[in-house]
Amino acid sequence: MTKERFQALAEAYGAAIAGWPAAVREEAALLAAADPAFAQAVLARELQLDAALDALPRATASAALLERILASAPSPRRRWRLWLAPAGLGAALAGAAAAGLLLGVQLGQSSAVSPEASAQAVADLDVSTVQEVG
Amino acid sequence: MVAVDPDEELLIRIADGDPAASRALVARKLPRILGLAQRMLGDKTEAEDVAQEAFLRVWRQAPKWRPGEARFDTWLHRVSLNLCYDRLRRRREISTDDPPEVVDDGPAPDRGLEAEDTGRRVGQALAKLPDRQREAVVLCHYQELGNIEAAAVMGVTVEALESLLSRGRRSLRVALADLVER
Repeated sequence: MTKERFQALAEAYGAAIAGWPAAVREEAALLAAADPAFAQAVLARELQLDAALDALPRATASAALLERILASAPSPRRRWRLWLAPAGLGAALAGAAAAGLLLGVQLGQSSAVSPEASAQAVADLDVSTVQEVG
Repeated sequence: MVAVDPDEELLIRIADGDPAASRALVARKLPRILGLAQRMLGDKTEAEDVAQEAFLRVWRQAPKWRPGEARFDTWLHRVSLNLCYDRLRRRREISTDDPPEVVDDGPAPDRGLEAEDTGRRVGQALAKLPDRQREAVVLCHYQELGNIEAAAVMGVTVEALESLLSRGRRSLRVALADLVER
């Protein structure tokens, strides 16, 4: 590694060689060992900037933010509801089909369940299923 | 493929609706994401909004997360930065030439007035950097991402990242000239 490259790396990544790209750390350490005066001068200059940057206050999360975020997290109940919703719909459709079959048998071949009645049956069953888990 | 992702186990449990896993992930990631947003935006309220929105996306993403495709931390940084850029764009649309006042957390018992003043000035200097230079400095210096990961988050080559870092730090050095050797 050349001195110019060492300096360019320090100017980009700062004084801590441990934070430099993994591929160059060993070579950089070798150069620092071979020419400690040069390396120390370069790194000391960058250390001043690093220290100034570290004076920026750390952000701290308020309790209210934490609460809002956790309140939005998935909960077992919510997943249960999501899981049940399609099942409820499936059950409703099956129920409606069974009801249609039953009515068809009772009223004979000329009768049929109206689309409105099927839709209502689906709606009723679906709502009751969701309410049970809500 | 990536190495074993330390966050994946939590994501699987979150997808199963495990509240303890959600709390653990928030404890692990919220300070990082809030810090990222606050340093990018220089505004505490906006940073909190970004953090909250980022976690909404985490909750939505958890059931769809595909292990081994990407590191979760990288993904979360990218999502959070995109949210920051949305806000920076909106600011530009309402054409404010002055960067927002950097919000200080107030006096801390272990921080003297001089350190507070330095902190405020660093915040102002960061806010004045071009967005991409600020992003590079925030990712590498404050978030402590490695160069490959930071470049991946930014969608640039490592050479481009290095150039952004150098220019960013050079400008910061000029802005903070009385505090650092030039």
